Amino acid sequence: MDVIEIKNLTKTYGKARGISNISFNVEEGEIFGFIGPNGAGKSTTIRILLSLIYPDSGSAAIFGKDCIQFAPEIKKNIGYLPSEVFYYDNMKVKELLNYSASFYKKDCNKRMKELADIMDLDLNKKIDDLSLGNKKKVGIVQGLLHEPKLIILDEPTSGLDPLMQQNFFELLKEENKKGATILFSSHILSEVQRLCNRVAIIKEGKIVTVEKISNLTENTYKKFKVETKAPLDATYFQISGVHNLEVKGNVTSFIFKGNINDVMKKIAGVEIMNLWIEEPDLEEIFMHYYEKEA
Amino acid sequence: MNIFLHELKAYRKSTMIWTFSLVIMMVLFMSLYSSIHADAEAFLKVLKNYPEAIRNALGFNEKNFLTVVGFYSFLLSFVTLCASLQAMNLGTSIVSKEVREKTADFLLTKPVTRSQILTAKLMGAVVSLVITNMIYFAAASFMAFQFKADDFSMKIFFLLSLTVFFVQLIFLALGMIISVIFQTIKSVLTVSLAVVFAFYFVGMFFDTSGEKVKRYFSPFKYFDTAYIIKHSSYEPSFLIAGAAITILAIAASYFIYAKRDIHAV
Repeated sequence: MDVIEIKNLTKTYGKARGISNISFNVEEGEIFGFIGPNGAGKSTTIRILLSLIYPDSGSAAIFGKDCIQFAPEIKKNIGYLPSEVFYYDNMKVKELLNYSASFYKKDCNKRMKELADIMDLDLNKKIDDLSLGNKKKVGIVQGLLHEPKLIILDEPTSGLDPLMQQNFFELLKEENKKGATILFSSHILSEVQRLCNRVAIIKEGKIVTVEKISNLTENTYKKFKVETKAPLDATYFQISGVHNLEVKGNVTSFIFKGNINDVMKKIAGVEIMNLWIEEPDLEEIFMHYYEKEA
Repeated sequence: MNIFLHELKAYRKSTMIWTFSLVIMMVLFMSLYSSIHADAEAFLKVLKNYPEAIRNALGFNEKNFLTVVGFYSFLLSFVTLCASLQAMNLGTSIVSKEVREKTADFLLTKPVTRSQILTAKLMGAVVSLVITNMIYFAAASFMAFQFKADDFSMKIFFLLSLTVFFVQLIFLALGMIISVIFQTIKSVLTVSLAVVFAFYFVGMFFDTSGEKVKRYFSPFKYFDTAYIIKHSSYEPSFLIAGAAITILAIAASYFIYAKRDIHAV
């Protein structure tokens, strides 16, 4: 069953912002990554799913129900963590969490304590006094305390230290094992790769591709930078799978996708001074996707 | 219910401050009454030096001025002005507070409809106003009883005091519609000061001409204290106008807010 079905969703505001004709589905029980640079339309899509904003055209359904018509009903089973967390001042963490829990007609006390323990959050502090990272933790506990069936996360990791990020990811995996579906939006490829089964890549308001993470890693792109003793002929690395080839003096750089042995053989054929092999950043992958389209 | 209680708690402090200020203001004015009453002759002479237009604008009415209710209705115009600010602040905060404190995302992703949210918040504001008025009225009655010398009618006194609440409701509704239309109000107080004083001066200005129609332009002039004292009732046409504005503004707020996009901040 599809937990989220998005069909031809379009929303424009301002000049360059918004989304156009977006469609993808999130299946029950999967951790779905939603990745793209800032301003690509991730938040716009998520805000439509939460009926915070209304689409110009197209539709979105959650649990098989239209996400605007049945918004209050659907939201009983959604946990949402926004990218920027701001909560009512003058409230203690505990008061805010209780207020949040009071919207769901079940006892969330036990789960609240468990979550606070895992995230190492002091319930008796005032929210005003919390650091950004700790506010984020409040947001995480707030989003999960009613044990939602669908968890929507909009760039959730900013402000969390690596250790907490680890705890948080473990927590999400656990929720996922218990049956929760997760929509995870991010602009950081590595964290999506770590967590997600499938991923939708969005750029400038359009879905570029929806792929299994395993596919993406099989077709891993590598960024090569080779420094040689003598300048190379510009065509030396011109083999299939090489993109964005650039030669600057003794330094040659390119992105490669394919059998890595082919490149290594070529590299072994010249005398090198230094070698860098890196994961390409998102922009470079996007560039590749755009090339493919053109 | 949870939103309502949360709102009420959030307003607790400001409600207390406003209530306290209104009571202090009323007590100060009322304590002047006995001295003015004693020097009635001299005081009336001074008043006569002012042009009639100004006397009307300020609500001086020679005939009534020296009775308790007459004096009370004079001070009431200032109480109403301040009370309107309180109401306007509350009304403007209803939506803009969530936007300014960036908590709209929190509230609107909960399993509640937008109209449920507005209703709960509106009720929280109305109850705060009711509490203010109840405390104010208790204090005002207490003060009035101190001077129960002349023909003092409790009914008229109550009717007069109740006008504060009615004017507050109108401004609450106006504040609400303004905050729904202009979502990102940075400073609530600036907006409410501007709107309330604009209406106050419009009312003052129009009142000098004495034309009844012009009174419709300012909620401050919907309740003519002289009329209330004379007839022990309100003017029905203005009562209807006030109710109509309040209901329309609130209904429009619900309608607009339900369709509004809540953007990230």
